[in-house]
Amino acid sequence: MADLPGRGDRQPVVLTGLSVLSAYGRGADALLAGLAAGRPAFAPVTRFDVANRRVGVGALLPGAPVLFDELLNTVDEACAGAGLDPAARATAPLLLAVHGDPTGSRVSSPDVTGHRTGAFTAALADKAGLAPGARTYTSACVAASSAVADAAALVANGMAERVVAAAGYLVDPDQFALFDAGRALAADGAVRPFSAGRKGLLLGDGVAAVVVESAEAAARRGASVLARLVGWGRAGDGYHVVQPRPDGAGLARAIGAALDRAGLSPADIGYVNAHGSGSAQSDVAEAAALALALGEHAATVPVSSTKSLHGQALEASPLLELVATVLSLRHGALPVNAGYLGADPDCPLNVITEGPLERSPSYALSLNAAFGGANTALLVGAV
Amino acid sequence: MTAPETTEVLLPRQRVPQSAPRPSGLVELARGAWPESDADTDPPALAGFVVSSFSPLVAEVARRCLTRVYGQPPAAPARGPRTAVIISTTTGDVATALSVARAVDTGQRLGPLLFFQAVPNAVAGYVAARWELGGPVLCLSPAGPGDAVALALAEGLSAARLLLADGDADEALVIVAEQAVDDGERDRALAVLVRTEVNEGAGS
Repeated sequence: MADLPGRGDRQPVVLTGLSVLSAYGRGADALLAGLAAGRPAFAPVTRFDVANRRVGVGALLPGAPVLFDELLNTVDEACAGAGLDPAARATAPLLLAVHGDPTGSRVSSPDVTGHRTGAFTAALADKAGLAPGARTYTSACVAASSAVADAAALVANGMAERVVAAAGYLVDPDQFALFDAGRALAADGAVRPFSAGRKGLLLGDGVAAVVVESAEAAARRGASVLARLVGWGRAGDGYHVVQPRPDGAGLARAIGAALDRAGLSPADIGYVNAHGSGSAQSDVAEAAALALALGEHAATVPVSSTKSLHGQALEASPLLELVATVLSLRHGALPVNAGYLGADPDCPLNVITEGPLERSPSYALSLNAAFGGANTALLVGAV
Repeated sequence: MTAPETTEVLLPRQRVPQSAPRPSGLVELARGAWPESDADTDPPALAGFVVSSFSPLVAEVARRCLTRVYGQPPAAPARGPRTAVIISTTTGDVATALSVARAVDTGQRLGPLLFFQAVPNAVAGYVAARWELGGPVLCLSPAGPGDAVALALAEGLSAARLLLADGDADEALVIVAEQAVDDGERDRALAVLVRTEVNEGAGS
């Protein structure tokens, strides 16, 4: 493996603003309360007709939220929380993870161009007062973590002082039908990551935004730091169209790259917010990846997948989970891995099963994996 | 991050008619395009992918590009594991998205294959598996004026430049696919293998 750029050459990267929406409600406090209660947000879907689906359950906000509006509110809140004035916003590019314009497949032909994914992102950046030149990430369930990793790379390498990374997915009839047709949804109405008897995933709403900033720039303007983004890594499986590599080597390399950038060893990691989709093969591959990357520490470090609570928010899920991880570190409570029925010998992990674990580790990993063998690891440091 | 611009080509490649810009700050190692001649009417079918030309286009231009480097799969063991796969497209897989929307709106059952191909990662995974590429997988969807292939290529190369500079890969296969959306248009696609220019005079 080629050497990474020297750690000494990198600018320290921090998070100075965040906001989030999930089925628990709008705002970080709602998510925090949901994580603290440890009760999954899954319920029968009423947003659209699911009568012809095998599974009719998801983690959805009530009503019919509009993705563009929710993203705009969330980006606004994150920027306001970070204390960014209009001038600072205007120099911050937007890196957005999204499946597409939700109306893009149902507009008449002359309007198609204006409803393409990139146009959706550009309109959001413009409306939010962010810099021109936004980038759209569509890499499925690692789209948002790819955006965050790029934001960190831009800041760490001195190419930007601050970047807004945002992501949004609101459960919709098309994706729901696709996941149902692919028999990926948990027929028992619960997501049980790493557990014996797990049946699959369930979809959930997720919209989130973070302000990624150089520590120096944040200090210069007196901004409060919510967390440090000390490492990030991505790697591919090179294995299959949709199945994860069973030995977890791709995800392990992503974790290794994140540890390397952070200059940390496996024992420094005090919590893993796992990808933990709740599907049979993916969870086993992730457990193997953790064993490869963390060695003996993989069996003892507390692990949970908050997808068991807020569901799988597809392109947006990694950012929802990063925010959950940051909130967990800040409040000293590691979220429960809900739905756990019993140990799966193929997932030999220290899964948090008995409610939130009161602990304040210094460092946490947030992991994600996607179709195509795409893997990401984000490494968060407490402040 | 201030690598000088270059159009140097270190390995032999076949020139194809394209209006797209050349990489800057990157060395282009090979490219493959669709169409390359009048014989290119429909891309070869790709097992497991249905309804849409998007994924077959991606696989075919990737094959053309990488064949010019490696002859046949897999990629060289010293290079493949550190090669990223980046798909950049302004249209996305329009045909699959429309097919899903139509089926949902009319109450038809969806086939399970559509589930797998509904995200561009799937065909990126096909390419990565076929050629044993182990670098990051990234999918982008830019917007803007001008030629769609040129725009998507510029976005893919920009992302590649950042990714390579940051160190998670040594090379990137940037794949552009633009589906025809109007009568008279043709599907167009392009794959370019790049690596960061090495400035041997920099002494670092």
